[in-house]
Amino acid sequence: MALTPDPDGRLACGRDAAAVWDRAVAGEPADAHERGCPHCTAAAADARGLGALVQRLAQEDPEPPPSVLDRVMVAVRTELRPHDVLTLPSPHGPARLSRAAAAAVLRHTVDAMAGVRARSCRIEQADDTRSGDPGHAVDVRITVTARFGVDLASVTARVRQMVAAAGEQALGVPVRRVDIEVVDVFGDHW
Amino acid sequence: MSGLPEVRLHVGDAVVARVAAHHARRVPGVVALRADLTQALLGLADSVLHPDRDRGALPADGVHAEVRGGSAEVTVTLVTRLGFTCRDVAQAVQREVAAEVGAYTGLDVLVRVVVAEVLLDR
Repeated sequence: MALTPDPDGRLACGRDAAAVWDRAVAGEPADAHERGCPHCTAAAADARGLGALVQRLAQEDPEPPPSVLDRVMVAVRTELRPHDVLTLPSPHGPARLSRAAAAAVLRHTVDAMAGVRARSCRIEQADDTRSGDPGHAVDVRITVTARFGVDLASVTARVRQMVAAAGEQALGVPVRRVDIEVVDVFGDHW
Repeated sequence: MSGLPEVRLHVGDAVVARVAAHHARRVPGVVALRADLTQALLGLADSVLHPDRDRGALPADGVHAEVRGGSAEVTVTLVTRLGFTCRDVAQAVQREVAAEVGAYTGLDVLVRVVVAEVLLDR
């Protein structure tokens, strides 16, 4: 018995597989031979099975899970390059802190103060010039707007105190220097 | 020579990563671990391609581990929240993960920590 498939695409019963297939797809009822023939029944079932599968897939509306964009963007933001991080002091090995996250913390703490709002915040970590090792102390440059009428000198002193305290308590790095630039004033009602 | 066969045990990267993630997540001040781009994309692909696959696997998102010989390097990327000191959280994670992974696998473990984000109370 030959096991090679018939090159003409004929089923074992002698019928043309394509013809059986087409008739099944068209929805024509099986004739007397097809009803009794296992080969023709199988071919017709294949055709209907594929049709059902394709139809189901076509009707499905593939929606990405709602969080796909979020998840990708969060991951993209997490790809930190060496310049994007500060070094945290640790005896147990390398520890880093995202520079953007650190700046957000300092801005947030200054924002919480009365009479002043933070605008931009840059944090630089200076190398220790004497030993050549990377030090942990940071220099902070922060721009703020002050409430109109508030004494600028005292605002500056308070911001400096707040930044130094937040750097030590929230971030865990000593703040060596704070540059404060008052870039604007705001008022509740002019 | 004794009758016992010689056995060599090698602990794989994934084992170290999953154990490290498990312990890092339990350190006070750690809000979440943050998957990197590769992990996020692989996780997404997996959730689309195999949505119904039951995965008993411990998640290792946010942890990268590499075993070389008798030592392992683990990098943990985490999110903390305002109210904890980033330095202290980082040191605690290094201490905990190095100790726990070391005890479980017998490897010398160096733990790098990256604090990727600090959640601010609003």
